[in-house]
Amino acid sequence: MTTRTLRAALAASLIASTAVAATARADTMTMWVRASGTNAASTLVNLWNSTHSDKIELTTIPDNQMVTKLATGVQAGEVPDLVSFDLIYMPDFMKAGFLADLTADLKADPNFASVAKAYVDIATYEGKLYGAGFTPDVSILVWNKDLFKKAGLDPDKPPRSVPEIHEDAKKIHALGADTYGFYFSGSCPGCNIFTTSPMMVASGSKILPANGNDDALTGDGVKDVLEQFKEMWSEGLVPKSAQADNGSNFVALFKTGKIGIQGCGGFLISDLKRDVPGMNFGVTFLPGMKDGEVSSFVGGDVVAIPVGSKHVPLAKAFIAWELTDEAQLDGLAKNDILPSRPALADNKYFAADPRIVTTAKALGVGYVPWVYHFADMVNSDSSPWINMLQRAIFDGDVDGAIKEAREKMKAIAAE
Amino acid sequence: MAPALIFVGVFVLIPLGQLIAMSMTDRSLLGGGRFVGFGNYVRIWNDAGFWRALLFTVKYTIVLTPILMILGFGLALLTVDNTPLKRLTRTVAFLPVVIGLSSSSLLWFWLFDEQVGLINKLLTDLRVIAQPIVWFVSADLAFWAVVISITWKVVGFGMVLFIAGIQSINPEIMEAAVVDGARYWARVSRIILPLSRRIILLTTLISAIGSMLAFDQFYIMTSGGPRGQTFTAVYWIYQNSFVSFKLGYGAALSIVLTLIILAFSTLQIALTARSEAK
Repeated sequence: MTTRTLRAALAASLIASTAVAATARADTMTMWVRASGTNAASTLVNLWNSTHSDKIELTTIPDNQMVTKLATGVQAGEVPDLVSFDLIYMPDFMKAGFLADLTADLKADPNFASVAKAYVDIATYEGKLYGAGFTPDVSILVWNKDLFKKAGLDPDKPPRSVPEIHEDAKKIHALGADTYGFYFSGSCPGCNIFTTSPMMVASGSKILPANGNDDALTGDGVKDVLEQFKEMWSEGLVPKSAQADNGSNFVALFKTGKIGIQGCGGFLISDLKRDVPGMNFGVTFLPGMKDGEVSSFVGGDVVAIPVGSKHVPLAKAFIAWELTDEAQLDGLAKNDILPSRPALADNKYFAADPRIVTTAKALGVGYVPWVYHFADMVNSDSSPWINMLQRAIFDGDVDGAIKEAREKMKAIAAE
Repeated sequence: MAPALIFVGVFVLIPLGQLIAMSMTDRSLLGGGRFVGFGNYVRIWNDAGFWRALLFTVKYTIVLTPILMILGFGLALLTVDNTPLKRLTRTVAFLPVVIGLSSSSLLWFWLFDEQVGLINKLLTDLRVIAQPIVWFVSADLAFWAVVISITWKVVGFGMVLFIAGIQSINPEIMEAAVVDGARYWARVSRIILPLSRRIILLTTLISAIGSMLAFDQFYIMTSGGPRGQTFTAVYWIYQNSFVSFKLGYGAALSIVLTLIILAFSTLQIALTARSEAK
């Protein structure tokens, strides 16, 4: 073998060994995401995987199992490197010490400074940060413009108060027996905290107590909104099936084109454009009892690092990356998903659809409760929240329902 | 004997001991927990939700068990002979048994859906009903929807057990009865039923215990609604343990439910033994 050949072989083997070493250094992180956040999370994870040698393996967990699975996982020491879950559970997990302290890294990150305040607040416990906004969602009001037009309503003028929703719903239901003015999932506690509670908050009410000494369901907003819902129900403006809907038909009926107005999440925009491209629909803020009162429930997922993660530095690198312009725009905004940095709402992807810009702006008028035992108070199938809604709307006992729910919520908050 | 003892010790006694120990604490799924003695058990006594769920579970058991026994035994009588057609019928009747309970419950949840479900479509097309029924709006309708789904799923299991019992009867006894002129129903009531007593007891026990431990079907089909009226005892334990994070209290509820089922099963066996002795 000549010297030249030997040198070439040596160079080639050095390059090959470097490539092998690089591949050997590449890690795979595991990440859990709840089912309703999978689509959004996938956009970010796929973008990360396509641009990084270290990969992320995404595992979808059913929504109602995520909290249990994460809690038992931490206790058993079997946790993923990253977790994306409903932000409303942050207080419980932070208090339990299940999440890694990210304060130093996030405070040093210039992108974190422009994350929506609601996400910063919900991820803060005793002055420390334990997570970042990941795949935001926010509740909005949608209306079917085609039905509005048929009913003689201005298709470009959405209802600006709950009583106006009621009035518009009557006109829409007059179109036919199988056309309904309004929809809500009557047995879905989560759906209603997302879409009905903002109407109450917009009307001046506070919903949940932060502790046993705090009050719950304050103000006239709760009663006034429930009275309107009760009347819409008794007038047949809402399908009968809504009473038993546990959320499995949360948006399905609106997609049939037979529902005039409904509260839902920003995710519905891309859903409707994909599933019912011919439907003309509008998006606006959820109103209160009076014109001009608006609110929304700031929801979606946060991303955090569970205690016990085996790739903490890499997981932190992912969190830093997901807050960058690249991830927020090319990962989220490009796929009609809201960025967690409201300053990026004005972007080339959203410019084509003002409805998404409206949804992004709803982040600015929204609220997110910082409470413990949210599952007990709200999301549980036997929660005082859903019992109050059902007793008030379907049984007609508004005052009794509010009184009972207030007492139970305060008892839970005191635990 | 020793391996069996080790198995029972490791998989039954130790976990049971841990459960009893946990039931004496206020342990949370989020960590922590102090010793509270019998505090959880006192709380159970005052827990109206648990007693409501237990009563509902007992009602469900009392209604479902005879349905499964009668239908299962009936199917067994119809398919006990080993002809090709009857073997095929047995297979078809048994197929739902091998489907997972969660999958079956999800299937029936959508079959009963007011908008897109086939049940309402069938009933409407046959003019049995004028308007679609909203099955899960009423506790009674939701109850019967679950009963129908579980009957479809489980009846084949009882059928197979009963067939085994009937086929184990000495054929000479049946032949002698035929020769003596005993008609079919006389043979069923005077020979098959008495000689199948043990298998009937076993099947009843399995069915009753399974019904007392019902969870999946209600979790998926009714979510405990409407208004918490279809919570079963196990569903209530799940709610307290994994939704409210109260593991200690959930453990105490589990112990109480176990004791109730044990008492119920012991009573059933004792009553049957007494009637056999007579």
